[in-house]
Amino acid sequence: MQVEQESKSLLTFKTKMVPYLFLAPNLIIFSIFIILPAIIGIYYSFTDFDGLRSPNWVGFENYRRLWEDDRFRAAMWNTIRLVVATVPIVFMTSLFIALIIIRPLKARGFFRASYYWPVMISLIVVGFMWQWILNPRFGLFNSVITGLGFNASSTLLDARFAWWGVVFIFTWSRAGYYMIMFVAALLSVPVQLYEAAQIDGASKLQRFWYVTYPSIKPARIMVFILAAMEVFKIYPIIVTFTGGGPFRATRFTVQHIYETAFQSYEVGYASAMSVIMLLFVTVFTGINFFVSSRGERDA
Amino acid sequence: MRKAGIGSYVIAFIFLTIFLLPVFYIVFSSFKPSSELTSAAQTFFPREWTFRNFTRAFERGNFVLFIWNTFFVAVLSTLLAVLINTMSGYALAKFRFKGDKIILILILSTIMLPLEVIMVPIFSVLRFFGLYNSLWALIIPPAATPTGIFLMRQFLLKIPDEVLESARIDGASEWRIFYSIVAPNAKPAIATIAIFSFMWRWNDYVWPLIAIASPRRYTLQLAIANFAGEYNIDWNSTLAMSVVSMIPMLIVFLIFQRQFVQGTVETGMK
Repeated sequence: MQVEQESKSLLTFKTKMVPYLFLAPNLIIFSIFIILPAIIGIYYSFTDFDGLRSPNWVGFENYRRLWEDDRFRAAMWNTIRLVVATVPIVFMTSLFIALIIIRPLKARGFFRASYYWPVMISLIVVGFMWQWILNPRFGLFNSVITGLGFNASSTLLDARFAWWGVVFIFTWSRAGYYMIMFVAALLSVPVQLYEAAQIDGASKLQRFWYVTYPSIKPARIMVFILAAMEVFKIYPIIVTFTGGGPFRATRFTVQHIYETAFQSYEVGYASAMSVIMLLFVTVFTGINFFVSSRGERDA
Repeated sequence: MRKAGIGSYVIAFIFLTIFLLPVFYIVFSSFKPSSELTSAAQTFFPREWTFRNFTRAFERGNFVLFIWNTFFVAVLSTLLAVLINTMSGYALAKFRFKGDKIILILILSTIMLPLEVIMVPIFSVLRFFGLYNSLWALIIPPAATPTGIFLMRQFLLKIPDEVLESARIDGASEWRIFYSIVAPNAKPAIATIAIFSFMWRWNDYVWPLIAIASPRRYTLQLAIANFAGEYNIDWNSTLAMSVVSMIPMLIVFLIFQRQFVQGTVETGMK
């Protein structure tokens, strides 16, 4: 009797352990490579760590310095401006091509695949590709506009051109991805809603504005948040497109953090920048979720 | 449904050219000889076709080695990702246990911690575990993906509990249930995780940038980025390398197009 009970409790212990064992590999990796670095990063941000000598505690010194650091502020501000400019453009482009692709076109699959294809190309190659097309000396862009009788542009040597170039190539590279999300949402709008609107005599534009647009709200919020997060951490595409130039015009937060840590070896200082960046991301997503869930209740 | 009008086709074609022409132009450019590449009057098609850029790229700087490194990383990391994410997804979908909700929320909240934010301390962690400058640093850590787990969990919720229970009553071990009942039933989700993982690893830049130092361990993206970042860009070999690096993704895409479309929708719904 005693023995039987013991083996039974051992058995239930073993069955209780099963889900934890299945989860173990992932949880170990997450703890070591996400949670642990996050904690270490916060610790570093309060030290003068240079990557070699053992770190000394400096309190809020790094954060105080950040407050007065024009270069960091410029990189952050530049990133925020990029988010504000790029997200609506990506949003509208991907919604627009999604609306085209759900029309009963012949060879619809072919169009959809072609729009999606840039998503499959690495950001490094996308940046390089467009540097090749837009470079001022022997880019196709200049060959075309001089062929049309215009003066050659200084393209990527011009700060404004390069900055808007980033907006454009990001959109080019990612619109297909968000298009797919919109397509899924658009196809799940109930047909009855359109029929009812049509009976009521709504025009095409009215149908879009009063039926389609409100119905795809979850997808809209998702695309908005995902795109904003992506632009906020923009980096690889810049490496091969402009390298941050000309004159820091396309220098954004992640590049600044990377170079501060791995080229100037100011690891503690760079960690403080990362913490600030994380706060921005968290606050931004938090506000979005808050606003969108409140809108849900009002509706 | 009625047919789309001519206007729709015109717009669809305009976007087609915007998305495809630049890619074609890169492919054609990679067949141009040096003299044409550095000429101010560029043409869309090469005036003279040559394979020199490709042969030069293969001669220069261990290009074959970079391809091999990338392939090695992408394949192994994908296998690992499929295994551990299916395991975790199964645990979260089909077991009730202490802390299950908290673990799920914890896993999902790691999405909020992008690699770019923790890259500085990750460098220290990799050094501590002796993974710095090792390809394993590109294989093991990125294999655990919150989106993969969530995708798998959502998918496995659909498997009826009775099937698993009856296998348990028949005395099948938990591991056996996992690989002979759960895994075969999860094939569509496994396919999605596999192709996305392969694409992420093949195209990845930030992980290799943090983890790899010596050129012998470069992946393709790291090599292309370094060549393209030089003051005097070697257009010939960098163009050729870029084109070659796109080929495996093109093949994967053409075969698994449907899964990509499906997966984009599912992974987006975090």
